[in-house]
Amino acid sequence: MTGQILPGARSDGSAWSVGAVGGAVAPGCGSSGGVRCVGGGVGGIGASPVRPDGALKVRGEFAFSSDLWADDMLWGATLRSPHPSATIRGIDVGAALAVPGVYAVLTADDVPGDRHYGLEVADQPVLAVDEVCYRGEPVAIVAADHPETARRAAERIVVDYGVREPVTDPEVALAGGRLVRHVPIRKGDPAAVAEVVVTGEYRVGMQDQAFLGPESGLAVPAPDGGVELYVATQWLHADQRQVAAALGLPVELVRLSLAGVGGAFGAREDLSMQVHASLLALRTGRPVKMVYGREESFVGHVHRHPAILRYEHGATRDGELVYVRARILLDGGAYTSTTPAVVANAASLGVGPYRVPNVTVDAYGVHTNNPPCGAMRGFGAVQACFGYESQMDRLAEAVGLDPVEVRVRNALAEGGSMPTGQVVEGPAPVARLLELVRDRPAPPPVGDDPRQLPGGVANTTAPEQVVRGVGYAIGIKNVCFSEGFDDHATARVRLELIGGEPTALVHTAAAEVGQGLVTVQAQIARTELGVERVVVATADTSVGSAGSSSASRQTYMTGGAVRAACRAVRAALLARLAGGSGAGADDGGVADDGGAVGDGGVVGDGGTVGDGGGRVAGGGLELAGGVIRDAAGRTLGTLVDLLAAGPVERSVRWRHRPTRPLDPVTGQGDAHVQYAFAAHRATVDVDPELGLVRVVEIATAQDVGRAINPQAVLGQIQGGTAQGLGLALMEELQVVDGVIRNPSFTDYLIPTILDVPPMAVDVLELADPHAPYGLRGVGEPPTISATPAIVAAIRAATGLPLARVPVRPEHLTGTG
Amino acid sequence: MRPFDYTAAQSVSQALAGGGAGTAYLAGGTTLVDLMKLEVMTPRQVVDINRLPLRGVSADRDGLHVGALERMSDVAGHPLVTGGYPVLAQALLRSASPQLRNMASIGGNLLQRVRCGYFRDTSTGCNKRRPGSGCPAVDGENRGHAILGTSDSCVATHPSDLAVALVALDARVRLVGRGGTRDVRLADFYLLPGDTPEREHDLRPGELVTRVTVPALAWATRSAYLKIRDRQSYEFALASAAVALDLRGGVVRDVRVAVGGVGTRPWRLPAVEEALRGRAARPEVFEAAAALAVEAARPLTHNGFKTTLLRRTIVRALTNLVG
Repeated sequence: MTGQILPGARSDGSAWSVGAVGGAVAPGCGSSGGVRCVGGGVGGIGASPVRPDGALKVRGEFAFSSDLWADDMLWGATLRSPHPSATIRGIDVGAALAVPGVYAVLTADDVPGDRHYGLEVADQPVLAVDEVCYRGEPVAIVAADHPETARRAAERIVVDYGVREPVTDPEVALAGGRLVRHVPIRKGDPAAVAEVVVTGEYRVGMQDQAFLGPESGLAVPAPDGGVELYVATQWLHADQRQVAAALGLPVELVRLSLAGVGGAFGAREDLSMQVHASLLALRTGRPVKMVYGREESFVGHVHRHPAILRYEHGATRDGELVYVRARILLDGGAYTSTTPAVVANAASLGVGPYRVPNVTVDAYGVHTNNPPCGAMRGFGAVQACFGYESQMDRLAEAVGLDPVEVRVRNALAEGGSMPTGQVVEGPAPVARLLELVRDRPAPPPVGDDPRQLPGGVANTTAPEQVVRGVGYAIGIKNVCFSEGFDDHATARVRLELIGGEPTALVHTAAAEVGQGLVTVQAQIARTELGVERVVVATADTSVGSAGSSSASRQTYMTGGAVRAACRAVRAALLARLAGGSGAGADDGGVADDGGAVGDGGVVGDGGTVGDGGGRVAGGGLELAGGVIRDAAGRTLGTLVDLLAAGPVERSVRWRHRPTRPLDPVTGQGDAHVQYAFAAHRATVDVDPELGLVRVVEIATAQDVGRAINPQAVLGQIQGGTAQGLGLALMEELQVVDGVIRNPSFTDYLIPTILDVPPMAVDVLELADPHAPYGLRGVGEPPTISATPAIVAAIRAATGLPLARVPVRPEHLTGTG
Repeated sequence: MRPFDYTAAQSVSQALAGGGAGTAYLAGGTTLVDLMKLEVMTPRQVVDINRLPLRGVSADRDGLHVGALERMSDVAGHPLVTGGYPVLAQALLRSASPQLRNMASIGGNLLQRVRCGYFRDTSTGCNKRRPGSGCPAVDGENRGHAILGTSDSCVATHPSDLAVALVALDARVRLVGRGGTRDVRLADFYLLPGDTPEREHDLRPGELVTRVTVPALAWATRSAYLKIRDRQSYEFALASAAVALDLRGGVVRDVRVAVGGVGTRPWRLPAVEEALRGRAARPEVFEAAAALAVEAARPLTHNGFKTTLLRRTIVRALTNLVG
């Protein structure tokens, strides 16, 4: 999947690309135009150093949260509701408590603090309170000396349910007043008319994040009455806040450390077993471990919101958009989770990366008795993109234009205005990304290697039975948290001599969920501090919040915080160089809004673009290889000498520029921090007779602003594209009357390596003047447009309308 | 998983002595352990039979013999199989994943349980798992379920690919019990669900499948297993066809057709074979014959597409074999 590097393949030197065939590594330090790695030299930003968890993971030696162990620990198990909707008339735990080896059986009555939690709204019960609202909702928990004993005991709890008819249809829920949030967007003339009108209704099924590492963790009671919780999560401090509230403890008595995370994709943003294990640990005075089984995991986390999208696009005969009207309905399931923010994304990004003078969008999120839905990679933008990109193809057909041409004609550009009225600042290379994927060489024609044919190695299909199709799509995603959320990240950086060598210690609470964040933090420290040795501490709550590893934000936010803290350390070093701070231990200090405070003495930071790294103080000083030199190259001092007086430590809380709420009536407002764009061209071969699809190749182009770690960027683009392919062709939780009917990896299908095609990747590095190093969030955009591009390609091959994903064989054979 | 006693049998007689109601034989474990974790199967006693001498792939005048403890991967790659019976090799290779094929035994493959979601979910009724508790699949999630051989009690699809190929080739299984040894045609071995879907096959309590024999069939060299599924690998069939063709001068001298993914047991299609025998190997002949395959089909709410898909699968399998 990775391919040959073609350095300088693009004329402006701010892009690189990876071909669809061959094999090579991503560009390293200095291989792309304009990149200058000062500082550490080896393994700084722009390089792709070996990640510390890589070899362990491929050897099966990495310790995941499910591998945690304490010698005297107990095992927790959860009794879950068998009904999507029921009242609870009574719970009898007597038989469970009587099971030998059982130490505790707890229900809602045993929750000492808040009995409800939630990321945005605390409406989800820690344990069911008087009713259950989805199948799989936790009702009671058990601690025992063996996991089987705990499960067996849980089965003996008698719950008297009054079963109710579940509400599982989101339209019924909306009509019945179960609204979570309505986000209207009003721009321009609501009565605008157009020469050409295309309409469509589209549906997106419920996708699962399908991480491999089940929800798991270990809670250890502490002598001070608190609890130490080791857990795989995306946001330690959000967990801490909610766990402490449920336990009725001050937050400082609930201390979390990140355990090995086996994938996240949004599914670990809400709590799962965190409070339960802590409750059991505090009750029994013993460490308690909980590990969900696979079936349990499928009801143990939120999913992607299924969506019904109705669109009407009006345009001139030349294909220029006049208006877009849309109604988007998202099924939030039983509890609120992040539904309000997902609705806002679907609404504010609902017309895509296009200039549209007149916009009327109404997006709704509703409560049903289906499994709760919340964060998943793409977060509202995925669903909308399938709608608006399907519409752009219909428009292209209606006006007789090529699908790329109609998109380019309407492409948003820098300085353009979103439906929210927000002006897009910084590069918005929508047209260029489309042209990049369009201009990629076409993949080879249909061959006779069965692996490349529909049906694959099952030898179903001969080349002459194949129809080829090509489809395009482009998507838009907001990066970081929006709508006025106080979004910040804290980093603590300490520079000291260890074994005589200057060593940077970086400590944040940012969750490494597999994306490579530990490596990125080390790279930034190397570049900023001119050292090679960097130790990144385990993420925990003894340092300030880093915010969530979601919204494509963590390299931006925690990366920004690490950079600011490093620069504060540098400033302190310069003060030492000038003899200002004297010898002895440096007591550091916390600087808020590190962009200003704590960065004193750093030049080149005003616009925050460019590397900045290594250049210190006003006179063009440079810090590299542990040596500070002036502009003439004269050595002024060394880190070894400066640090002999003791370590330097700085902690910085860093924020992105503020955003604004959306006006509740018009949906106007500068709600988003940064926009990210990716385009896909999918080439598919279809066997229409048998309904089989083979994605032959995907060409994709994405602007990443600045690739801090090119190999990790490629990994995000390839993995995100594969996840989008999954939604296009196979991934769907089958929910029947509120019950997930395929809760296993044999029945919930995700793409295998044989389903994932070679990818041709173009990466643009067009700096965002507001972002650290000019970077742009990378993780989500590849998932968004992959799905509609593949479906467009199947439509092109078959002529079928295909208004719902995933597309399955029966939708192509015309008999389903 | 429920507690159970584990013993490892050193000989067939020792295994048989330990067999009976409440006992499960453990070979590759790829079905049994999975279902024990789900508590769909709750044996009190597990007898490990992996040390029994039920191995080997050989051929003689009677045909091809495969020991029941041979692993799927080994059989799929055996020269006697790839050379003489491509349909068997293909059916094996298109099953499961490499890791599973490396573990799963031939006997276990033939005895694997259905993939129906309701069978695997102990919180729901299932006549196969708990006789008399109903079949929610009839009105529920039944996209993957059968259109042939169903009853009001059970609509689950037989999951094995290998069994489809073996039924097409008239294979026999050897069953050994305390009462003696018997050979049974595989096509007769599997039972229709009828009113007793808990009875899936003619294996008596304590009996072991010890080997599979495929009668010699020279023209099985022209055979293939064609499988339609939702992804390129590691997935059960939506529809499949095992076909062997004796083609001379453009005329079908003889033919075998069995289908999978659509029946409550591996489904041999004698009427389709009869309609092909002696006829020219031409598309319209194939299509007319394949139409007979679905005459008795009873589609459910979500698997109506299988009727058309099955016809096309048979036609394609024949077409590809003619080449």
